Amino acid sequence: MRLEFKDLGKRFDDRVIFRKLSGSVGPGEILVLSGPNGSGKSTLVLMLCGLLRPTRGEIRYLSDKDEIPRNAWRHELGIVAPAMRLYEELTGMENLRFFARIRDLRLSDEELARRLREVGLDPGRKTILRGYSTGMQQRLKIAQAALHDPPLLFLDEPGSNLDPAGQDWLEGWVQELSKRGKSIVLATNDRRELEWGTDHVVLDG
Amino acid sequence: MTDGNWNGGQIMSSLMAEALAVVAKDLRTEFRTRVSLNALGLFALTTLAAVSYTVGPYRIAEEDKAYLLSALLWIVILFASLAGMDRVFVKEEESHTAGLLRLSARPHAVWLGKLIFNLGLLAVLMLILVPLYVLLMGLPLKLGVGALVALLAAGGFALGVVSTIVAAIISRAISRGALFAVLSLPLLLPLLIFAIQGCSAVSSGDPEKLAESLRALISFGGIMLIVSGALFPVIWQD
Repeated sequence: MRLEFKDLGKRFDDRVIFRKLSGSVGPGEILVLSGPNGSGKSTLVLMLCGLLRPTRGEIRYLSDKDEIPRNAWRHELGIVAPAMRLYEELTGMENLRFFARIRDLRLSDEELARRLREVGLDPGRKTILRGYSTGMQQRLKIAQAALHDPPLLFLDEPGSNLDPAGQDWLEGWVQELSKRGKSIVLATNDRRELEWGTDHVVLDG
Repeated sequence: MTDGNWNGGQIMSSLMAEALAVVAKDLRTEFRTRVSLNALGLFALTTLAAVSYTVGPYRIAEEDKAYLLSALLWIVILFASLAGMDRVFVKEEESHTAGLLRLSARPHAVWLGKLIFNLGLLAVLMLILVPLYVLLMGLPLKLGVGALVALLAAGGFALGVVSTIVAAIISRAISRGALFAVLSLPLLLPLLIFAIQGCSAVSSGDPEKLAESLRALISFGGIMLIVSGALFPVIWQD
């Protein structure tokens, strides 16, 4: 799966966020979006995953054969972003179970438990999310994003709130996904994460 | 993975399964926070207590009972239900969970799930409120309990459909409170008139008028269901 965007611009009323951004990411590639705070990295991520419409320019999801229509993009992508939260009144297991069901995935509780263990969470934990640390919530968001094994992943500041061991794990996980042919869009300013990129788009604000 | 490879039956059963997942999630979060249930219960019991204390069954002339008590009943149902049902989409936006829901579920599964949840909430409200009201206010039921249940089902269905789509619209707006009132009024007014007419027919023993009101409520609810189903994906995703 390949994502291409061309001459993207976004303005909110009189405020121009960015004018003309182009880029692409394909299987096994990591496209890094960087830039100062307020330069529009998260806005660009929301546009690329279809939650915001660009003021100008075009975004295309391309499969091997043809273009994927906008209303089917959600099948192709997973996302971790600070602006998108999970349900605080549910436990980690209940959250994953809910997202599996609304994606019509037939995943057993054993499989969901394995996914939780994979991101370093205890599947037996009965605490609702409100009782989780921010780092643990971030790990659960990562598990949710990868639940349906999407070919395209958007990671907006994925390492934020993770402890050093968590950041090491994250690096290994991203590299592993890249080796498996996933297309990854990474919005970050973290120096370590910047080095993972195979291509860069710099938003200058 | 795309819907195009599936037949109609598979799509409907998977849509219903996804909608029921939304209902189950909402029920679980509601039982843990009780935001809507508390708002709904508090409003229902307060208005019921105020109405029965100030008006009661003996201060209304016998010939006015059917109309006045029917109007009061539906006003109490309407305001109590709106106190809880308008939260159904707003809470997804306010807790920043709407984004992931949009990217994970089909719009129609979300709409159907929220509609079923609201209809359930309304059924619980009516189950508690209406028997208490009939007892405390002495509402006569000359056509019997079955006729009242049929009217409540038809009126509740239409009310649930309207409230759910209005709740979806206001969740995307900034001045939510004012917008809810402005949007609800033209949609709820005909519904309320039909429901009150039907209820007074049950009370005064007029089966023809009841049948007329039931037809009007079912048609109104059906039309709103079709319009809502067509409109929701646009409201939810843009």
